[in-house]
Amino acid sequence: MSGTGIRVAALDDIPEGEGITVDRAVTGTEDDIALLRDDDGSVWALNDTCTHETASLAEGWVEKGHVECPLHASRFCLRSGKVEGLPATRDAVAHRVEVRDGEVYLFPNETSS
Amino acid sequence: MSATPGRIVIVGGGVAGVSTVAALRAGGYDGTLTLVDAGEFPYDRPPLSKDYLAGKRDFEQIALKPAGWYETQSVRLIRRAQVTALLPGQGLVQLADGTTLPADRVVLGTGGTAARLPIPGAAEVGVQVLRTVEDAGRLRDALPAASRALVIGAGLIGAEVASTLAGLGCAVVLADPAAPPLAAAVGPELAAWLHDQHRTRGIDTVAAGIASLRRTSRGIEALLGGEKEARVVDLVVLGVGMVAATPLAEAAGLEVDRGILVDSAQRTSNPAVLAVGDVTRSRADGTQAGHWDAARRDGERAAATLLGRPAPVASAPWFWSDRHGRHIETVGRMAAADRTVVRGRLGDEPFAVFGFRGTTLVGAVSVDDTFAVRTARRLLDGAIPVDADLLADPSTNLRRLLRG
Repeated sequence: MSGTGIRVAALDDIPEGEGITVDRAVTGTEDDIALLRDDDGSVWALNDTCTHETASLAEGWVEKGHVECPLHASRFCLRSGKVEGLPATRDAVAHRVEVRDGEVYLFPNETSS
Repeated sequence: MSATPGRIVIVGGGVAGVSTVAALRAGGYDGTLTLVDAGEFPYDRPPLSKDYLAGKRDFEQIALKPAGWYETQSVRLIRRAQVTALLPGQGLVQLADGTTLPADRVVLGTGGTAARLPIPGAAEVGVQVLRTVEDAGRLRDALPAASRALVIGAGLIGAEVASTLAGLGCAVVLADPAAPPLAAAVGPELAAWLHDQHRTRGIDTVAAGIASLRRTSRGIEALLGGEKEARVVDLVVLGVGMVAATPLAEAAGLEVDRGILVDSAQRTSNPAVLAVGDVTRSRADGTQAGHWDAARRDGERAAATLLGRPAPVASAPWFWSDRHGRHIETVGRMAAADRTVVRGRLGDEPFAVFGFRGTTLVGAVSVDDTFAVRTARRLLDGAIPVDADLLADPSTNLRRLLRG
């Protein structure tokens, strides 16, 4: 998919170091989407459900390019979704995000270049 | 600096051993790496008392690493194998089937076994424990025929097993002479509240030890300390801690004192042998963490030592417990606190308790409020001064507090 993406949030809706959930009904994805804002201000998107159990990554701790699951602290790379710390063993699915004029656009199932 | 060892053998496929393997490869180690594990396939223990016991997850779903991982990481995984001897002098590890593995360095992550109590009748009635997946399997198999259970010990494992059994419809008696259990780990206020949660979920909590057990036609009769009438149950589970599995280390002449003694780099008394996880005890302060995260960090530290790199940054001790649908986290040392402040209201989840010694934060415990403990962890690790009133105020954004 290309084009302009799906507008999913205003940048100001997502505090730095935190995340919000966007319902799959809006994104058309298999899972809800966690929009995660790193402490440098950048925004990233992962499937919301931790690959370990059932926690919402949007409620996780976002810091220095990673999100830490709020339940058992598995760590995922914001950019790639790659799992970087046990107990999770499977990568999260990452989706490309673009910020234009203070609005966040999601490109479901596209990877970041 | 000494050269990186060419052949490393890791004994024990728990979180400590597997983390050592993962951290070695992640750190660029390109020598021969062998993991010897006694079990069917290296798995994660925390689910054993919860989802695995409840039958919500199967064995494949609790693997520490997926099946193909060992191959892609060029790790030789030897399963269902017992190590019978370490021969550090000869650079060999000997297996029960007679095989010897050449090893320049050995990492012991042999964990522990469930502690037993000398309760009269325990052997006769077949008291169960929960440490391995085999234990959990036996317990699971016994559940269909069990509607009444006695859980002895209300620490982390006992409390989680009681919670899971109650959730499955079992009538549970939970006995522990400590009043309340876990007070040292989470502080007395929260320990009392947590223990009380069992009662509100219909579990019969008894502040007593077990005088005797015996099997009769009615089931298992359990006489609790101070009671005249025996309780009748179908199942008895003992959760009273762990004993470090040290025979291999002792036979190899390593210094052992209720655990393999290790320094801050995971080195044992033999320079060719390191040890990680539950089997270890700190030579410096005698502490024995016995928690999942500590075992994982041990593995990372051992890998750094083997690679001749500085140790990863230390972090305050952290553990979690999931019971009765609630997620509890603890960081630091609540036992060191001389006063506490509550963020939110104690008993009204989500909430958290922060422990201070004077004006210094020493620990925190949260119930369904992980941000509080994750914040405290970073405050502790960075030795960042913090105002107790700010932490206690639920309107304070903790994430921003940390950023200053």
